[in-house]
Amino acid sequence: MSAGTRPPGADLPEHPDHLWREPDPKRSYDVVIVGGGGHGLATAHYLARAHGITNVAVLERGWLAGGNMARNTTIIRSNYLWDESAAVYEFALKLWEGLEAELDYPLLFSQRGVLNLAHSLQDVRDSVRRVEANRLGGIDAEWLDADGVREVCPIVDISPAARYPVLGGTYQPRAGIAKHDHVAWALARSADAAGVDLIQGCEVTGIDVRGGRVTGVRTTRGSIAAGRVALCAAGHTSVLAAMAGFELPLQSHPLQALVSELLEPVHPTVVMSNAVHVYVSQAHKGELVMGAGIDAYTAYTQRGAFHVVERQMAAALELFPVFARAHVLRTWGGIVDVTPDASPIVGRSPVAGLYLNCGWGTGGFKATPGAGAILAHTVAHDEPHPLARPFSLDRFTTGALVDEHGAAAVAH
Amino acid sequence: MRSSDVLTADVAVVGAGPAGLAAAGEAAAAGLDVVVVDAGARPGGQYWRHGPGAEGPAPGTHGRGTFSTLRAGLGRHGVRLVCGHQVWQAGRHDDGFVLRLRPVHDFPHDDAVERVSARRLIVCTGGYDRQLPVPGWDLPGVMAAGGAQALLKEYGTVPGQRVVVAGTGPFLVAVAAGLAEAGARVVAVCEANAPVRGWLRRPLAALGEPAKAVEAVRYAAALARHRVPYRTRTAVTRVHGDDSVRAVDLTALDHDGRPREATRTTVPADLVALGWGFTPSLDLLLTLGAATRLDGDGSLVVRVDDGQRTTVPGLYAAGETTGIAGATQAVREGLLSGLAVTADLGRAGRTGDGVDAGPSRSRRAARLRSGVRRGRRFAEALHAACPVPAGWTAWLAGDTVVCRCEEVPFAAVCHAVRELGAEDPRTVKMLARPGMGMCQGRVCGFATALITRHLTGHPSTAEALSAFGKRPLAAPVTLAELAASDDRTAPRTAPWS
Ligand SMILES: Cc1cc2nc3c(=O)[nH]c(=O)nc-3n(C[C@H](O)[C@H](O)[C@H](O)COP(=O)(O)OP(=O)(O)OC[C@H]3O[C@@H](n4cnc5c(N)ncnc54)[C@H](O)[C@@H]3O)c2cc1C
Ligand SMILES: Cc1cc2nc3c(=O)[nH]c(=O)nc-3n(C[C@H](O)[C@H](O)[C@H](O)COP(=O)(O)OP(=O)(O)OC[C@H]3O[C@@H](n4cnc5c(N)ncnc54)[C@H](O)[C@@H]3O)c2cc1C
Repeated sequence: MSAGTRPPGADLPEHPDHLWREPDPKRSYDVVIVGGGGHGLATAHYLARAHGITNVAVLERGWLAGGNMARNTTIIRSNYLWDESAAVYEFALKLWEGLEAELDYPLLFSQRGVLNLAHSLQDVRDSVRRVEANRLGGIDAEWLDADGVREVCPIVDISPAARYPVLGGTYQPRAGIAKHDHVAWALARSADAAGVDLIQGCEVTGIDVRGGRVTGVRTTRGSIAAGRVALCAAGHTSVLAAMAGFELPLQSHPLQALVSELLEPVHPTVVMSNAVHVYVSQAHKGELVMGAGIDAYTAYTQRGAFHVVERQMAAALELFPVFARAHVLRTWGGIVDVTPDASPIVGRSPVAGLYLNCGWGTGGFKATPGAGAILAHTVAHDEPHPLARPFSLDRFTTGALVDEHGAAAVAH
Repeated sequence: MRSSDVLTADVAVVGAGPAGLAAAGEAAAAGLDVVVVDAGARPGGQYWRHGPGAEGPAPGTHGRGTFSTLRAGLGRHGVRLVCGHQVWQAGRHDDGFVLRLRPVHDFPHDDAVERVSARRLIVCTGGYDRQLPVPGWDLPGVMAAGGAQALLKEYGTVPGQRVVVAGTGPFLVAVAAGLAEAGARVVAVCEANAPVRGWLRRPLAALGEPAKAVEAVRYAAALARHRVPYRTRTAVTRVHGDDSVRAVDLTALDHDGRPREATRTTVPADLVALGWGFTPSLDLLLTLGAATRLDGDGSLVVRVDDGQRTTVPGLYAAGETTGIAGATQAVREGLLSGLAVTADLGRAGRTGDGVDAGPSRSRRAARLRSGVRRGRRFAEALHAACPVPAGWTAWLAGDTVVCRCEEVPFAAVCHAVRELGAEDPRTVKMLARPGMGMCQGRVCGFATALITRHLTGHPSTAEALSAFGKRPLAAPVTLAELAASDDRTAPRTAPWS
């Protein structure tokens, strides 16, 4: 275009078609969702689309999807050990497979497979056991030996002399990654179009409870009455529970990730290693996205200790020597909420009308549509969704834990 | 890691420009153990940049004597100077700060320093040229004005024959004078604003910066001697060329700073040097959590008290990081920070050689503080006289690249705001990717913020710009370097709070 022909942007529509409105909060709603991350938005979407409940507000203290939704490394898979968890994650994975069509929005959901490496005989035994369990549950899981690993991902160093020798790995072909921001926008657009108010810059500072029942929330933008309140605040859920007068068995930990400059496509799949505490994928534009393990420090800072990243990159390079010269452009961190058994808490709380969705820890992105659908059902019927039943808060008193440390603790 | 790879000190200074040299000298003179780190091969920073083999900036350079004095002071007081090392990360630990370094240039690896650990940290990282996109600005032959000057100062290279210098501010005159003296034909200096004729001399003197006035007169004389036309209210609105610059469009600007098409002329040129002021380098300061404010020129700068202390305990800032105000001001601020760090660490200061005991120190501090206030007023006046013209986005075309790393055109930024509803630069970045590439927004960040402001009608706040400008890695490091810096014996940095 030469200077002085048409003014810049002249081809753009006169009346912009924004993805969502910016409404002011109303005095009262049937349902208030606290937290505008992926889970909060998905819950709003399913409340409206599956249950016809649209007098709903999502209250977000910062930007929509500016929390862990914006910070995670987007690994999606369902090969968890126990039937209860595998069922939830597989339910979510099936929803992912139809989500682009459901939301009519490109989510760049790419089923490029996920490899979990095994480095010791114990790893191998655990992995094979998990593959068998997954297969019985109808989940596409495979055990690969070292050569099989190299076939799927030729740049992994499988030499026996390596510091972390690769003895094999589990592989889930239907697993993969998606583009987190597109997911958030698409869910937000759908909820907004159904009439849900998405309210940014609105922090919940108190929860009103009368006679054991929730009646509303107090926020930085005034009090809002609500028949039901769903907490989707990830790492900050304990703080909200304290406002309602009960405690949750959650610890908050920083989890870190980093991204490199753009590279030619070299890394065809997603590789995770629990022993080494890293996972690596190559995102759509060509940048490497690498995650580090969890920080041992309990903290609310959105940054972690740097030595954790250094330690894990040292290990990652042992697996991927070809990446030595790739430049790291940025590191960041998020707060994840971890339960004693590394499984989520979804369902009713000690306060009537107040629902919990938390403890997804290092692996809640993959659950986004599933968690939203299950929580929406639970809120709509005041009755836990069948898939949520094993994940009730009272399992920590009954002892019916769902221990997923092996499949979930560090990895995603 | 060998122990020599890790230096410990009372005070670490990042940057060996006017501010850093002054800060280090002052603190060391009081008996503190000081380490200075600079990415450049030699000390001097932007202002006193000089070539290999030279003792200091060229004869005739303003403040050359100051440089020599400061430089000599470092040696006398045992300051350890680590040149050729970039600080790529800064963190806090229980009793101070840890800097992580990487060698740049072809630095002999035997001497490489990997970490500096110090109780106090003074950040004097200066700034860099601010750029605004214009159609054709990605052609070879278009340079930052400061880049053209740096080539000249450091290597004596004149990177073109027929030069147009454009943008705003007195710095353009300095660059043009340097290029003209070195033999280039400067066909025009285009100042987007309309300072009164002879503006450089009068306000400078009136504002009590006589040294600046002398410097300005010298540049003005050089331009007159080489018959360099100085055009006010004029901008380069397009750069023509195929493989490299062939010509530029010069267009007069109306009162809103929009190009008046009828006045457009095309002049042949092979070098275009553009400068729209400077952007302070805040990477380390933002990572450490220092509070910021917006300065008169729209830059995000760090907030300091009258001893150059930031809001983070133990962390000081001096020079351009606290606001763009020139080398003289940078020296004053550096000295003040040195005095403050000395007082805060409980040193009496210069009692050893009896030169500067308590009372005279506080007199000196008072004098410097009033100098800093004067410098600030001067800078404010300059910022007010040289704003970015409000209507500048009118010279952008839909396909003009805004972010060069990610190749994001102007139209994509418009789309993010107008169609997708982005309201602030951070959301624009998430929707359209400007600032997500190799330079992490160091080049396009300012322009993206201005374009967002233009399209939405609301200016960015300091908070929004801080969030946008936060870069935990002050420089890209390779994974190998990251991995190599894993050291199980080194002191652990606690999580940031
Ligand atoms: C570095 C990193 C990598 C990860 N990688 C993966 C991965 O590869 N795969 C995977 O499945 N998962 C991963 N996760 C985990 C995943 O990001 C989370 O489990 C998931 O995003 C949590 O759900 P969410 O999106 O709703 O959370 P968030 O996006 O964090 O949403 C919670 C929201 O609540 C808001 N909020 C908090 N308190 C209040 C309040 N008082 N009032 C109003 N709003 C409030 C917050 O601002 C926030 O926006 C990763 C996490 C991190 C940090
Ligand atoms: C290209 C350029 C040219 C300029 N020319 C002039 C001029 O001719 N006349 C004039 O009056 N003003 C000029 N200025 C303005 C000039 O910046 C100030 O007048 C003065 O130099 C500021 O001093 P300072 O100490 O704050 O910063 P600087 O002089 O910029 O010094 C900062 C130093 O910090 C180092 N540094 C920055 N980040 C890191 C890091 N992460 N790790 C290690 N080292 C780091 C840099 O290498 C640099 O040496 C110029 C500015 C620029 C950007």
